[in-house]
Amino acid sequence: MGHTFVEKALARKAGLDSVVPGQIVTVRPDRLLTHDNTAAISKQFRKIGVDKVADPGINVIVLDHVAPAANETYAANHKTIREFVAAQGITAFYDIGEGICHQVLPEQGHAWPGAVIVGSDSHTPTHGAFGAFSAGIGRTEAAAVMATGKIWLRVPESVRIVVSGKLPERVSAKDLILHIIGDLRADGANYCSVEFAGETIREMSIAGRMVLANMAAEMGAKNGVVEPDEKTRTWLKGRVTHEYEEIFADPDASYKRVIEYDVSNLVPQVAKPHTVDNVVPVTEAAGTVINQALVGTCTNGRLEDLAAAAEILRGKHIASSVRLLVLPASREILLQAIEQGYVRDLVTAGATLLNPGCGPCLGAHEGCMAPAEATISTANRNFKGRMGSKEAFIYLASPATVAASALAGVITDPREV
Amino acid sequence: MKSTKITGRVWALTDPQGKLYDDIDTDMIFHNRYLHITDVDEMGQYALDNLEGWKDFSQKAQPGDIVMAGKNFGAGSSRQQAVDCFRALGVSAIVAESFGAIYKRNAINSGMPIVLLPGLTDMAGEFETGAEITVDLTTGVVTLGDKTFQAQPFSQVQMDIYQAGNLFAYGKSLGEK
Repeated sequence: MGHTFVEKALARKAGLDSVVPGQIVTVRPDRLLTHDNTAAISKQFRKIGVDKVADPGINVIVLDHVAPAANETYAANHKTIREFVAAQGITAFYDIGEGICHQVLPEQGHAWPGAVIVGSDSHTPTHGAFGAFSAGIGRTEAAAVMATGKIWLRVPESVRIVVSGKLPERVSAKDLILHIIGDLRADGANYCSVEFAGETIREMSIAGRMVLANMAAEMGAKNGVVEPDEKTRTWLKGRVTHEYEEIFADPDASYKRVIEYDVSNLVPQVAKPHTVDNVVPVTEAAGTVINQALVGTCTNGRLEDLAAAAEILRGKHIASSVRLLVLPASREILLQAIEQGYVRDLVTAGATLLNPGCGPCLGAHEGCMAPAEATISTANRNFKGRMGSKEAFIYLASPATVAASALAGVITDPREV
Repeated sequence: MKSTKITGRVWALTDPQGKLYDDIDTDMIFHNRYLHITDVDEMGQYALDNLEGWKDFSQKAQPGDIVMAGKNFGAGSSRQQAVDCFRALGVSAIVAESFGAIYKRNAINSGMPIVLLPGLTDMAGEFETGAEITVDLTTGVVTLGDKTFQAQPFSQVQMDIYQAGNLFAYGKSLGEK
């Protein structure tokens, strides 16, 4: 019998002929991603009693969560990290301003088909968009990987999601994944490897595929993956310079579940407070008053997202009752958005442009909310209190829906502007 | 060898309607406003302070207590503080219908016993806050008075790490063998 993507990826890495779901394997990951939490991880690393990281070449460290530092404590943490990086001889270090770790890591050539990537951030599954096995881990584990270069993994069961049909105008990958999460629920793919396949995915840009893999985390998935194709190879050209061997699921692989979706009639979706699976068609949320709108984050801060927002806002102005925050996901994207004129379009329309990074998504700085306020955001999480006040409300939607809502001051169907 | 049977007083994390909460996320367990804290001992006081009805959990919990919740406990962020805050309070085990994937790993690697009890949400009425239960990590049997319930037993790697103390100690013990 055939094997799923994750069974083949982990078997190869573990040096085994084959593995089965539930089996525990020990592997040497190709990359270990950590961010601002490297401060705490480096402290734990020292406690282990090892002087040097096992392999500095696998470490990728990006300062993005509270960057630049919002106060003295964060500044001290950043300083600890810079000293750790220097002492350990880690070369793949990206200081504040480079962008969000899940954008910088692939841009800098640290993701490729068949790679095994672990990261101390729950949205590490993003890199599955390049055909890699990529999963989030905790900080104790991250410290242990630094010390030993190894990690134990339980081979997940696999779920295959097959998508067909052409996405309608102003309906995007974000609407698709919100629809799927609303359908399967927040624990619908718990511990599972989710394979996204089908003609719609093949047509989708790399940025769109990253949205799907990124938000696989919100249905509990261990990892999300899109098999590589010509688009993947083109995107990686010049970024990944070494050889790699692509991995594809066998046609006769065994899945826990195979689920099919047809997006031909999909409408824009909105996740209402306070869970990501509380999803409704935009028509049911339309008219809800918002105080803030956010385009950015590791889910939707890419060039095509800024383009979608710019297209709606060009030559217009946002409602006076709304603050619109725009955070390109990386320096590279910011520069492209400047060249394409999107930055001018958005700023002229009333947007506040913030530096590439996580920004207010996790409520630490740059746009926290007051009690009773509401934000519509392109982010991936709307947990109670995530963006500041516990009495605030977060709605999740696509860049087009967020831009249309910023114009009107209320949640708005982007197909109507 | 650590005991593989844990006995403690239950905190059934219920909503205002008395139903066990599902999807308790990492921001409810350990809110992002405390993320700058790196000392585990300081984390306990904030445990569950963003879960409706449970703000004062850290004042009420006693070392040895067992936390009980519904599906998908610890969904969301990879922040290990959401496990460490319970360790800081001396919570002896967490029993839930299911756990967030990264939360589960974090708990195993920190040596915090977590127990999956399938069907728990439907039998939640059986377990009231204050009741004393015993969890056998080896067999998965949960005992409440004269009733027993079948949870998932520990996997081998989970037991090995638990016995060693945590992932670091486990790693060292492998090196010594």
